[in-house]
Amino acid sequence: MKRDIFQAIADPTRRAIIALVAIQAMTPNAIAAHFDTSRQAVSKHLRILAECELVQQEQKGREIYYTLEIEKMKEIDEWLEQYRKIWESRFEQLDTLLAELKQQNKKERKI
Amino acid sequence: MKPAEVGTPSDREVLIKRSFDASVNLVWQAYTDPALMRRWLTAMPGWSMPVCDMTTDVGGQYRWRWRDDANGVEFGFTGEMLEVEPHSKIVHTQIYDPGTMGGSMGDGASIITVTFNETDGITNVATLIKFASKADRDAAVSTGMTDGMEMSYKQLDEELSVMNTRTPVV
Repeated sequence: MKRDIFQAIADPTRRAIIALVAIQAMTPNAIAAHFDTSRQAVSKHLRILAECELVQQEQKGREIYYTLEIEKMKEIDEWLEQYRKIWESRFEQLDTLLAELKQQNKKERKI
Repeated sequence: MKPAEVGTPSDREVLIKRSFDASVNLVWQAYTDPALMRRWLTAMPGWSMPVCDMTTDVGGQYRWRWRDDANGVEFGFTGEMLEVEPHSKIVHTQIYDPGTMGGSMGDGASIITVTFNETDGITNVATLIKFASKADRDAAVSTGMTDGMEMSYKQLDEELSVMNTRTPVV
């Protein structure tokens, strides 16, 4: 089954895992040490992330290391970044408008 | 105020959160009075908002249209008001109107839910965009208005860099 990448990043634990492996390659045990959930639960999250190609597995000796698939993450980031940019720019205009409305209300009260 | 936060609570949703240093009364006004709305909802440098028809009656229609003043290209959104709770919540459908810009954001209507919440004079606004289907979300990711926005921002970047290199006229 093809997992959905947006579903994958909607989960807070998976987002935390992404943040961890973005810094350095980590083994499942090392990742699990950062969470209160069971090692099994962490493995399940890793499997979902791998199915979405958000993380890559690398065999080093007897250990498997997980690393972030940066290009894949960038695609989503760029899309969300556009939302953030357009909305922040609108909201800054809204800040200005609200400040004006506040000022007007003050004046009206004085009269 | 802290910049807008953007997240994906599920595979079909985008959530945008922002706080404003104003009472919910004023924020509500800015979100429901078309004359005020068109002053801030534009935000793309060089674009105007020639059409901003809207109503706060449930079942009423709205129509927003933006124009790139440099070349006359237009696009917009239309939809219907589904729920209106004064000072607290607006729910409406949203359909992309490709105008002369083209592109697609899928066939279904997105559902937009805007909630307002005031604490100690600060109003928190959450905007939830729910796409009709994953296919529609993908259409929005790959085409549609985001392309246009990216273009406008690139234009702005270029204009700014030109301004920076220009020798000041005394």
